[in-house]
Amino acid sequence: MAEAAAPQVFTRRASGLVRVMSPYSAFIYNILTMGIIFPWTYINGPTALPGGSLIIGIALAFLFELPIALAYAWLATSLPRSGGDYVFQSRVFGGGFGFTIVFAFFVVWILQWVALSGWLMATLGIAPTFLGLGVATGVSWFTSVGSWAATANGIIVISIINALVSFALLVSGFRNYVRFQYVMWYAILISFGIVVIMFLATDPVTVRAKLDGFALAVDGTKHWFAAAKQAAVAAGISFHPPFWVFGTLMVAPIAWTSLQWASYSVEQGGEIKNAHVFRNQLFIIVGSLAVTAGLLVLLAVAMQHGVGGDAMRVASAGSWFLLPTSFIGGAILMPNLIAIALTASPIIILLIGVGYILNSFQIVCNCYIGTTRIMVAQGLDGLLPDWFSRVHPRLKTPVNAHLAYFLAAIPVIIAYNKVADWSLRWALGVTFANGVVFMFSALAAGLLPYRAKKVYDASPGAKYKIGNTPLVTILGVIGFVTATFMVGAFLLVPELGLAYSGHGITYAVILGTVVLGLVIYFIMRSVKRSQGIKVEYAFAEIPPE
Amino acid sequence: MPRFRKKGQATSEPTRLFYACDIHGSEPTYRKFLNAAKFYDVDALVFGGDLMGKMLVPIVRNAGNTWRAGLHGQNHHITSPEELAEFKLKLDTLGFYSFECDSEEYAWYEGHQDRIDAKFDVLAKEKLGQWVQLAEERLAGSHVRIYLCGGNDDTDACLSALDEEAEDRVVNCENRIVSIDDEHVMATVGYSTPTPWDTPRERTDEQIGEVIDKLMADVSDPSRCVFNFHCPPLDSGLDTCMRLDASVWPPAPVIENGQPVYYGAGSQSVADALDRHQPTVGLHGHIHESRGLTNYGRTMAFNPGSEYGEGVLRGLIVAIRSGEVIGHQFTSG
Repeated sequence: MAEAAAPQVFTRRASGLVRVMSPYSAFIYNILTMGIIFPWTYINGPTALPGGSLIIGIALAFLFELPIALAYAWLATSLPRSGGDYVFQSRVFGGGFGFTIVFAFFVVWILQWVALSGWLMATLGIAPTFLGLGVATGVSWFTSVGSWAATANGIIVISIINALVSFALLVSGFRNYVRFQYVMWYAILISFGIVVIMFLATDPVTVRAKLDGFALAVDGTKHWFAAAKQAAVAAGISFHPPFWVFGTLMVAPIAWTSLQWASYSVEQGGEIKNAHVFRNQLFIIVGSLAVTAGLLVLLAVAMQHGVGGDAMRVASAGSWFLLPTSFIGGAILMPNLIAIALTASPIIILLIGVGYILNSFQIVCNCYIGTTRIMVAQGLDGLLPDWFSRVHPRLKTPVNAHLAYFLAAIPVIIAYNKVADWSLRWALGVTFANGVVFMFSALAAGLLPYRAKKVYDASPGAKYKIGNTPLVTILGVIGFVTATFMVGAFLLVPELGLAYSGHGITYAVILGTVVLGLVIYFIMRSVKRSQGIKVEYAFAEIPPE
Repeated sequence: MPRFRKKGQATSEPTRLFYACDIHGSEPTYRKFLNAAKFYDVDALVFGGDLMGKMLVPIVRNAGNTWRAGLHGQNHHITSPEELAEFKLKLDTLGFYSFECDSEEYAWYEGHQDRIDAKFDVLAKEKLGQWVQLAEERLAGSHVRIYLCGGNDDTDACLSALDEEAEDRVVNCENRIVSIDDEHVMATVGYSTPTPWDTPRERTDEQIGEVIDKLMADVSDPSRCVFNFHCPPLDSGLDTCMRLDASVWPPAPVIENGQPVYYGAGSQSVADALDRHQPTVGLHGHIHESRGLTNYGRTMAFNPGSEYGEGVLRGLIVAIRSGEVIGHQFTSG
């Protein structure tokens, strides 16, 4: 029997709401945020965790992040609002907790990322590109620029310009950023593809010879590779470490510093078209995670095939132990610098360089986009002064929040590059701090059906259960456990995080940012009370009956 | 120092208003709005227009005790009265009206927009009447009044329920100056400027200006007047939405260089009135996605936005005293 057609829903002439960012744009945004150019796994892993398998470690990071990403898909469809993590945690745990955690560990600590993105642009983008162009063209000015870009002053200048251009682009209108994002996306894919193909098409012997030639041209150093390896061995680095299970397990948190950002699009959930549709969020968050993990594994395979373990350990000795003998032109031997050393073509060098420069630029844009939306949400909720939530009438963007973040980033950029050990202590601190936000959001997802029942019941994910237990509760709890494992590793394992610096002050500063968040919360709450308003009202759900 | 003070007067306790708008027929959101009085401990509930739902779901009876209905592009087969009740509850949450009919009756409506519009009016007026009665019941015995008005999406036929059903606690404030405490009054205008959706209560910007001028002619002290204007001021950041192409139905986003175009869809007359009269506060809605606040001189203007479809009541608590906003708080209940 033929099925009767569904009766049509009748409509009338009434206005409708339309959202902006397509799910595909959000998918790209997440991949770019995860940063397939981030080199930490490849350049820190081999010496920080000798005997740890990069490929298995990346795969583990994917598996650990998967339940977190899935839990986020539930959160994003239940509460598709700008300010993401802050909204989720405020709803589930209350405003004081949500504000403090997200303000302290995202808004404050992501200032480190602004500095870090400038450092990436200088050392991963501009320095290798100009050094490569100098060697390929014989123009010494290029080499000088490349070497300058790797100096502290060079990095500071580049970082401030990077942040300023991003500020100007984003306040000019979010649509301008979204448009430019496509340029960045394709440039980065081309750059990444070239690097992978070059590594797959070569072999370790050729790479070592090419690196020798490159170092000779840049620094005038003869037999660079042999000298660098010898210095690394003298520094105690093992070039034939046995497979190390714990080391492999600890590669996962490093790779997680990239993959944890799979859910970053939730910060602008209010701007994503059909953000409440479950399959869209699966595509945006889980899809971007899978693609990025695949690309990271691909790069690891290509590097092990083409560059080889010895050259990777030499590069890692420069990054992790800061052995100057492992530098070329004052720059750390990042994957793209190795690729640039393999070619004499200025066009290939430019294609690689532009991709890495644009990905670095995209990272600073992400810092602004995510944190300013959180600040706007917190301003509207009365937990930051109204000034932060103001949207410019002509530009339609939160100019004040952008300006505040740009200004706050300048001293951090300077300190990052001028204060001894700053980058070591605080760059590692940010991995811990950001991880805490994801950890609590995973828990918020697990508790959503119980702490925000009405919101959860109205969401499309509410129908998925195992027995009587909501599937999101199971995923959220698993995600909370895996995130706790990785956050704990950042906190306690010397090779990974805060413990490496060996200073108690690192922990004190982490605690200090939490105290700062709490102080702001209680001050704003007190100010509001004096006006006859309770900030708690911003988060409380009114019972309909 | 007096032991007791009057609300709204200098040195007295502020008058606390709760403002929300654009709930578009959503039953749980309206019920939350009513409960907001007690929950937020406010003195008045002010609604800023767009009470009426946008969708009407015919639930067609099949042979036997079963029904079928379309929703979100899916065919729903309903096989018991319990399922039917659950389905209707879901429609209430979404703000959709529904009615049971047989196949012949459904066919009578299908393709006849005039008949569908008339059915909308009947069901929407019925629902609004129930809401007014519910407000009277829930607020009975309290000092709280609820001020209701229409927006551009509401039809006059539906809004007639406000005058017909209002008794003690409900005030129909549409196109009127009403008192909200001992020293503040409120002016309400529910119209919007023309939209691509060609909605029932649109007016030209000039006409809106004339309505405002006519209302304000009766206000002796504009600085102690609350503006409850559904349409936000033009290019204020409270009115930002995508530009839509009205030549197609439904209107589609205008895309330039692969990106949607944004613009301000508010009213210049409202902006001028805020500038000129410097009222106590400006309360606006209409553009659901443009939650925020801005200033016109000393006057703060707000749009709390709307998420009625998720059953979330977006709103604003504002405390006023002696013609000034002394505190405000956006809410998401």
